[in-house]
Amino acid sequence: MIKPSLELKNLSVHYGHKRVVHDVNLALEPGQTLGLAGESGSGKSTVAMSVLRLLPRTAHVEGEILLDGDDVRTMSWGRLRAVRWASASIVFQGAMHSLNPVQRVGEQIAEPMRLHGTGGSVGELLEQVELPLGKARAYPHELSGGQKQRVMIAMALACGPRLVIADEPTTALDVVVQAQVLGVLKRLVAEQDLGLLMISHDLSVLAETCDDLAVMHRGELVERGRTREVIANPRHPHTAALTAAFPVIGDPAHRWAEPAPEPQPLLEVRDLAVDYGRTRAVDGVDLTIGRGEIVALVGQSGSGKTTLARTIMGLRTPSSGRVIFDGVEVPRKGKALKAFRRQVQLVLQDPASALNPRHTVHDAVAEGLRVHGLADDEESQVTAAVERAELRPASLYLEALPHELSGGQQQRVVIAGALVLQPRLLVADEPVASLDASVRGEIVALLLRLRRELGLASLIITHDLGLAWQIADRVAVMHQGKIVEQGSVEQVLLNPTHDYTRALLRAVPQV
Amino acid sequence: MTGFRTRWFSRVGRGDGAVGGFLAHRAGVAGAVVLAVAALVAVIAPLFIPADALDVTRVSDAPWQAPGLGHWLGTDHAGRSVALLVVQGAGTSLFVGLTAAVLSVGIGTLVGIVSGHFGGLAAGVLLRVTDFFLVLPALVLAIALSTVLPRGLGTIVLAIGLTSWPSTARMVRAQTLTIEARPFVERARALGGGHGHVIGRHVLPSVLPLVLVNATLAVASAIVAESTLAFLGLGDPTRISWGAMVHQAQLHGAVPQRAWWYLLPPGLAIVVVVLAFTLVGRALEAVVTPKR
Repeated sequence: MIKPSLELKNLSVHYGHKRVVHDVNLALEPGQTLGLAGESGSGKSTVAMSVLRLLPRTAHVEGEILLDGDDVRTMSWGRLRAVRWASASIVFQGAMHSLNPVQRVGEQIAEPMRLHGTGGSVGELLEQVELPLGKARAYPHELSGGQKQRVMIAMALACGPRLVIADEPTTALDVVVQAQVLGVLKRLVAEQDLGLLMISHDLSVLAETCDDLAVMHRGELVERGRTREVIANPRHPHTAALTAAFPVIGDPAHRWAEPAPEPQPLLEVRDLAVDYGRTRAVDGVDLTIGRGEIVALVGQSGSGKTTLARTIMGLRTPSSGRVIFDGVEVPRKGKALKAFRRQVQLVLQDPASALNPRHTVHDAVAEGLRVHGLADDEESQVTAAVERAELRPASLYLEALPHELSGGQQQRVVIAGALVLQPRLLVADEPVASLDASVRGEIVALLLRLRRELGLASLIITHDLGLAWQIADRVAVMHQGKIVEQGSVEQVLLNPTHDYTRALLRAVPQV
Repeated sequence: MTGFRTRWFSRVGRGDGAVGGFLAHRAGVAGAVVLAVAALVAVIAPLFIPADALDVTRVSDAPWQAPGLGHWLGTDHAGRSVALLVVQGAGTSLFVGLTAAVLSVGIGTLVGIVSGHFGGLAAGVLLRVTDFFLVLPALVLAIALSTVLPRGLGTIVLAIGLTSWPSTARMVRAQTLTIEARPFVERARALGGGHGHVIGRHVLPSVLPLVLVNATLAVASAIVAESTLAFLGLGDPTRISWGAMVHQAQLHGAVPQRAWWYLLPPGLAIVVVVLAFTLVGRALEAVVTPKR
């Protein structure tokens, strides 16, 4: 039997009395690729950090962590330094924060080689991750998100490790760039026969990259097997929930939206253009949203979809063109604009930052009422909105502060804060992107129920085509400020006519 | 907006963790105790001091007495008790320090929030004005102001307050910009909230803890500034303050008389009170600034 390059035996991690990882056993043979899936708080990142002893001092680690047969826990400091990066290296989550902004990326890639006295050239590494040589002299802010992530990969490979740990390497990237980065990672792992431990909440990403899959839930390893088998026949209910949460485009079972009746137009955007200085962010867009209709606006980051949404809401002034709401042009200032804003409400991507950390749930939900001077009978209106957003009973939540709630509950508070004004259109900017898989489905179902019960129309801005398939009636594809294709979900996602839509669809990782 | 006040206070009440956090800073607690004693002395002591004891024309004791049983800290050039003078001076120093700090922090907060929130031309102008005051030597400006304006406590407060606000303005502006970039401010705008709402409900509550810390530190520097002006002879001649005492001591030749007891007590009083304010300020800063 081959000696595993990484073996975890009965690994448990506590912070004080809080158990984060409980009795995890895991082995990774050289050249093997293993995906570690789980929701936030499942302990998957803690496992990854424990491998190179990178946990904070307050962590209490039990069990054995064998890296090439040596226990990381008992290694001397000097040995540990030698092992870090040379035997195993990490591609950290969020390349934007893991690179030093005042150093050229070439120097940063060379740093581990210098520390370990290993040979190798930065140029070669850049070539491996498909970046031009000249980028070695670039500073991080001069690179795109995908390029930065490639620099992180080059850095991880600098000392020729046998094992690479990738912690959510593509989470902040959009589909197209994600596909490119995953492609690079996959090729390098195969070419250099590396072991890969990849951590993600997104099963489809792991399915793209890894032969084996392990699922963590509340600190425990609940399932382990070949990726195909685990996804096809999940044995643990949590695995089943994770697989169900990622919609398969084209699968009618994942299409939750019920067909909407032929709608009358509620919002019309005509030939809208928005400039940032000299850059044209939105370029001649026509878009219609009907009463009670859910429209998905999809596109890569930088395509102008967020700017378009902000302009529709009256948060930005268009350079030219018109926005017509319910037959009347949207006012640009004063009392009329304030009144218009009651009709259209915003749901932001990250509920944790969309709520003022100092305001209780009651204050956050009542904010809209107070702004519009509708505060009489505030108590019952707030309670009704909170219960509409399915936080029941409302009294349990009203006095809570945002940090006391889970991500899904926070998003419900944001939605309740929008609902309390009885809007007719909801603009949701990536409403489920920062939520866990199991919660994601609940929020999608909530948005659909609101449409059914209140006739609430939605504009869903997303780069996630699966979400569009799940929830939308119509899809508009945005590329470089223009809408290149729009139509019914089936038409656009199953029979795309524009090259860009096809490219987007190709980039979606398949389970 | 009914119930706004109670709700706000209840939210502050939730910050009982902050009180515990402050108590954990021993130096801060020590500073707070010193300040409490100083404030108590400043308020109560003058009620017990007979007016005669501090009037140059009515005191009967011999001048330049060394500290002893009769006068713990000796007497000054006119025969007044130095100990009583120090106690009497506490009130003036603390009053000027506090009011000048409130004025300076008030101006700074206003300028900072307005320039941070509104941006554009107004912010540009305000920032240039801030820069102007920032590069101007504050003491020189304060001296110029107190020579031009009529002598009095108000002038000193004004002179100190008008020259020391720029650093507060810069800090508040930076904090305002940070808060304004948060998504919850965008959400408030989308809800229909105007400038007043965003500033009053989101920016101000987030900025206030920092302003409070800044105010404590500003009091310390205002007390030093008051002492400096008084020492240079620009204070209110009708009032006794610690700075004025050092000025008098120097004027009447305490050094050639070797009357250390006239110079040291007011000097030490300034040092102790300023140190106490600084300790409290630093402890508060540690409490309100989130870790990491």
